[in-house]
This record gives sequence, C-alpha cells and structure tokens, in this order.
Amino acid sequence: MGRDILIVGLSHHTAPVAVRERLGFSQADLQPALGRLAGLDGVHEAAIVSTCNRVEVVACVEEDAHAHGLDAKISEFLAAERKMPHAEFASHLYAHSGREGVRHLFRVASSLDSMVVGEPQILGQVKDHYEEAALAGTSGSVLHRVFHRAFAVAKRVRTETGIAGKAVSVASAAVDLAGTIFETFDDKTAMLIGAGTMSELAARHLKSQGVASVMIATRTFERAVAVAREFEGVPVPFDRVAEYLKLADVVIGSAAATEYLVTSPLVQEVLRARKQRPMFFIDLAVPRNFDPAINQLDNVYLYDIDDLAVAVAGNVDEREREAVRAEAIVEEEVGRFWRWFESLEVVPTIVAIREKVEAIRRRELEKALATLKDQAPRHRELLDSLTSSIVNKILHTPISTLKHYDDRDGTLDLITSARRLFDVEPPSSATDDDESDKEST
Amino acid sequence: MTPELLFLKAALVAYLLATGAFGLYLLLLHPISRLVGLSLLLAAFLAHGGAIVARSITAGHIAVITDYEALSFFAWLVVGVYVAVELRYRLPAVGAVVAALAFVVTLGSAVFYSGVRELPPNLRSAWLFVHVTLAFLGNAVLALAFCVSLVYLFQERQLKEKRIGERMRRLPSLETLDQLNYRALSWGFPLLTLGIITGAFWGKYSWGTFWSWEPRETFSLIVWILYAGLLQARLVAGWRGRRLATVTIIGFAVVLVSFVFGNVFFPGKHGGSFD
Repeated sequence: MGRDILIVGLSHHTAPVAVRERLGFSQADLQPALGRLAGLDGVHEAAIVSTCNRVEVVACVEEDAHAHGLDAKISEFLAAERKMPHAEFASHLYAHSGREGVRHLFRVASSLDSMVVGEPQILGQVKDHYEEAALAGTSGSVLHRVFHRAFAVAKRVRTETGIAGKAVSVASAAVDLAGTIFETFDDKTAMLIGAGTMSELAARHLKSQGVASVMIATRTFERAVAVAREFEGVPVPFDRVAEYLKLADVVIGSAAATEYLVTSPLVQEVLRARKQRPMFFIDLAVPRNFDPAINQLDNVYLYDIDDLAVAVAGNVDEREREAVRAEAIVEEEVGRFWRWFESLEVVPTIVAIREKVEAIRRRELEKALATLKDQAPRHRELLDSLTSSIVNKILHTPISTLKHYDDRDGTLDLITSARRLFDVEPPSSATDDDESDKEST
Repeated sequence: MTPELLFLKAALVAYLLATGAFGLYLLLLHPISRLVGLSLLLAAFLAHGGAIVARSITAGHIAVITDYEALSFFAWLVVGVYVAVELRYRLPAVGAVVAALAFVVTLGSAVFYSGVRELPPNLRSAWLFVHVTLAFLGNAVLALAFCVSLVYLFQERQLKEKRIGERMRRLPSLETLDQLNYRALSWGFPLLTLGIITGAFWGKYSWGTFWSWEPRETFSLIVWILYAGLLQARLVAGWRGRRLATVTIIGFAVVLVSFVFGNVFFPGKHGGSFD
C-alpha cells in the first residue's frame, strides 16, 4: 500500500481557547507523546504542532487513512494523551489528507491560517515542533520533505507578497506611534491586559526599544506568569489591573471581554494619581477593551486595531490582493510537492509491474519450452526474445504514461489505478528522497 | 544705504528663506532642506546681529530704545535662543515657527523704523544694559516656549485625530516638546523676574520710584503673575501637555500685546517719552 499525509487537529477557527489550552502539549510532554503516536498502527511518521492557537498532528500514514479509521485513532490518541474526554473536543476537530493536508500545513506555516494573518511567530513554532519530531525520531523522509517545503513556502510568501508584513506593521505601527508621544522608553512601563500574538508582538517591539518593564495581566494568573517569564516582566493579578494602571505609560489590551475593562472615569482617576503624565492605550481586542471616550481625556491617546490598520496604510483591496497572491504560491507549491510525493511511488510501481509481468513471462516460457520436443538453443532464444518483445511492447505505453504523468489537478490517481490494474504493491519503505530533495532549493 | 539697513534687509530675506526651507522640510521631509533652513537661519542671525551692532555704534549705546530697536533686538534674541537649543535638540519643526516669528517681528520692527535717539542723561547707566538684556532674554525664552507650544498643539491634534503619517513621525515627540516647554518656562520666568527687579532698581535710580504703574510695568506684572501661576500649576497640580501649551501661548500673546499695544497706544516711559 502507498502512503498519505494526514493532519488531524483543531485551531482557533474551530475551537474556543478553553478547548485549545486544555488540548495543548507542553514541551515536556511532546517527546513521550510523539513516541506513542508513531507507535500507532498505520502511522509511519508523525509530528505534533501545538501552539496557543492550534493543536495538530501531522502524520505520514497508510494510504486511505479514513478507511482505516486513522483519523479516529489519532483523535483518541489526543484524548488519552491530554486526559480529556473525547466528546469535549471531537466536534472541533478537522482532518485533512492528501493534497488538502499538504495545503493546510503550507498555509499554517505561511501564517495564512493564523489568527493574525501574516504574524511571523508561527513559522518558528512549526519549525520547533518539527525539530521535536526529528529529535524523537518520529519524522522520516516524507515529513522531512513536507516540513522543509512548508518552511520554503512560508519564506516565499513572506518575500513575494506583502501579507507577511501586515501583522508586524500593526505592532510596529503601535510602537511607532508610541514614539511620537514618548521620546525614550527606558523610563517607561508597559502593561499587557490579556496576552495574544499581536500584543506580545507589540510588547516585543517595545522591549527592543528599551522599555523598562512590562506588566502582564491575564485572566488566569498562571498564564500571566508564563508570559511574564518570556518578557522578563511582572505578572499582575487580573482583578488588580486598576491599581497597577497608574504605573503604566503604554497599555496594550487584547483580552477577551464583553465590556470595557478600562473606562474613562478610571483613567481620570489614574491620571490624577500619576500627575497627568501621558498614557498611550493600544486596543488590539475585538470587542474592544478600552472605552473610546478615553481618547477625549487630556494627555491620553487611544488607538484601536482599526486606527492602527489605517496607519499601516494598507487598504482592504491591497490586503486581499496579497492574500490571493499568497494562496496562489501555496497552491503552486502544493502541486509541486504532490508530484514529488507521488513520484515516490511511481518507480516502485513500475518496478513491481515489470517484475510481475517478467515473472509471468518466464513461467509461461518455461512451460512452453518444456512441451517443446526440439529444444535447440536457437528455438529457446527465439521464444525468449519473442515473448520479451511482446511484453515490452505491451508495457511500453502504460509505463511511459506512468513515468511522465503530471497530476496537476489531482483528479485522477493514476498510480493507484495502475497498481490495482496490475494488482501489485510496491514496498513502502524502499524509496528515499535525498536525491530529489536537492531540487527543492 | 547704511550698513545697518543693508544687514537688516539681508537678515529679513534670510529669515524668509529659512522659513520656506523649514516649511519645505516639514512638507517633503527632505533632510537637506533642514540643513539649508538651519544655515539660512544662522546667516540671518549673523546679519541681524550686524545690523544691531551697527545701530548701537551709531547711537553710542545699546540699540534697544526705540520701538524699532526693541522689536528687532527681541527677534534677534529669540533666534539666538533657538539656535542654542537646536544644538542640543533637533527641532526643525520649532525652527520653522521661530524663523517665521523672527521674520514677522523684524518686518514689524521696520514699520516703526526711525532714527537713533539720544538717551536722556538720567537714564545713562549700567542698569540699562542689565535690565534690558535680562528682560529681553526672558521674553525671548518665553517666545521659544510659545513656538514649542504651537508645535506641541499641532502634534497633539494630529495624534488625537489619528492623522497618522510620516509627518507626525518627523515632528518631535510630545514628551520632548512638553519638557522643552517646561524648561523654557523655568528659564524664562526667573529671567523675567530679574528683568522686572532690575527695572525697578533702574527706575528708583532714574526717577526715584521703584514702580510707577506705567503700561509696560503693568503688563509685565500681568505676564509675570500668569507665568508664576502656570509654573505653580505644573509643579503642584501636574499641569502639562495641552493645557500648559495653551496657557504658554496665551502668556506670550499678552507679551506681544503689551509690547505693541502698550507702546503704540499708551506710550509711557518704555514707549519713548522718558520724562
């Protein structure tokens, strides 16, 4: 049987954060989990990509994964690993196989599937998780190839389209703006209310501008502690934000909340406490965290995500055009990868067909020779070359078709058809891709 | 044409060109135009200085007596203070306002142009130099605060109205402008105070009275109280930003009004009638 690529998981598109954070793997859990995952029947190679916005198993599996119930097996594996009842997350899961799976992985790595499309962190996260799989020895030639192609695609999307710059520029636009209010940052304090990709990105920018300290307040204190460690910041209990607000010069909001977390009267009070020293509020949350009326107060400046998007100067048309270009790149690369992936099976299939037909020919030749009275070497040679030439002539067209077949639209799986027609099974471990890997750069 | 007038005209042309160059810098953001503006302003400052020196030589005393002389000297000092500050901060936006102000005030001074005037013997003393220099320097520093405040208000409005762009980035940060404003106030105010005190002593020496409630003195007192209140509000109530800038602008407007209004409509001792 041949092999396929299967992705089973959930992301911010399908699952709420409460599910994502419970299903997520910590780094310490990854190695043993990968071992168990690769041990599943039908799974040849496996990697786990686990970020705050997605948990996905990327695997190279037996062909016809669905028929084998592999997607169900993997989701049961997740339930067992994370000790979470299957029913609680099963409805959020998706499974992509074949070209669809490859496309999904490429889109994830290129940040086209991200919550903030174009944010650059996801590529590093995917890389890290692939390396974990390589370290665990659960990634083989196929995953090696598909992940490295994914990294190359992400690079292409970043350099050839403007989409990758968008998220960065929203965060840097915020910091740029802060620079028109504040001259220096080394005596300033930033506060993150809620921690998301973009607010962390903005905090990172501020940090690189030399901001003195970063306070982090998230709904769960553990998360604040974790993020604080990353920024060498100070975790702040969520219910005491109002008290600590007076210390903050830059306040970045990205918490999920149905009503304003910071209101105008609160800021007025805070301003009195800090002797009217200016404050810059950056609201990255939707719905918004900060009351828009804050902007009317003296010495307070409030920008929300839409204001910043304008600052980035990209109008909607431009962004859509970039997205279309990015998707086109992904599509092209999926086709390229898939041709390689199929070619893995072309050669073994051809070899198997040849071997099978050759075996038939020999068997029949021997039978014929046995019944032949006059066994002159001349006759033997004649029959041998006659049968050979018939076999070769018959096989010529199917084999050259297999060799040169270019499955661009993926509607016809010729290799599978050929294997069925001739009833052959190529050995699934025989081919290695070292040679064809070089062509990828 | 006297050398004084030649210098004065050269200075006026250079002020105008400097204003244009700084304005061009803010519009086109071309770094060259900032350097051109700065060089022109420096040239104007030197030419203007030449005019003042030439006039002082003709008069035989420091040329700050007539309306023309006073305004011209004042404009020259404002530019001097700005150039000194520009060496430390890069503030081309403020330069644009200063150059424009210098042009307008110097041009205005030329309207009052008159010949040199003899100084009555009772006023000839070292007090003249000390009083006039301190008072004018104080006003010049406050004029700089005025220019800085104008830029502050402009920048603040852009930020509030979210007119984000390259221009906003090229203007100094609000923090810098606010700090500079406060610094100018905390230098300008003591200078103004000293100017008033030395003026009182000079008055005592010349006319036998410390304070005679003539228009300029009254206006100066109003300005002094205004700035004293402003500094107090800043230190105690944390007044800063837009409020500080607005009151600074009002304060300087009073200075200008006191100068023009006082001298033209209520000519007291400062206006030229010395008796």
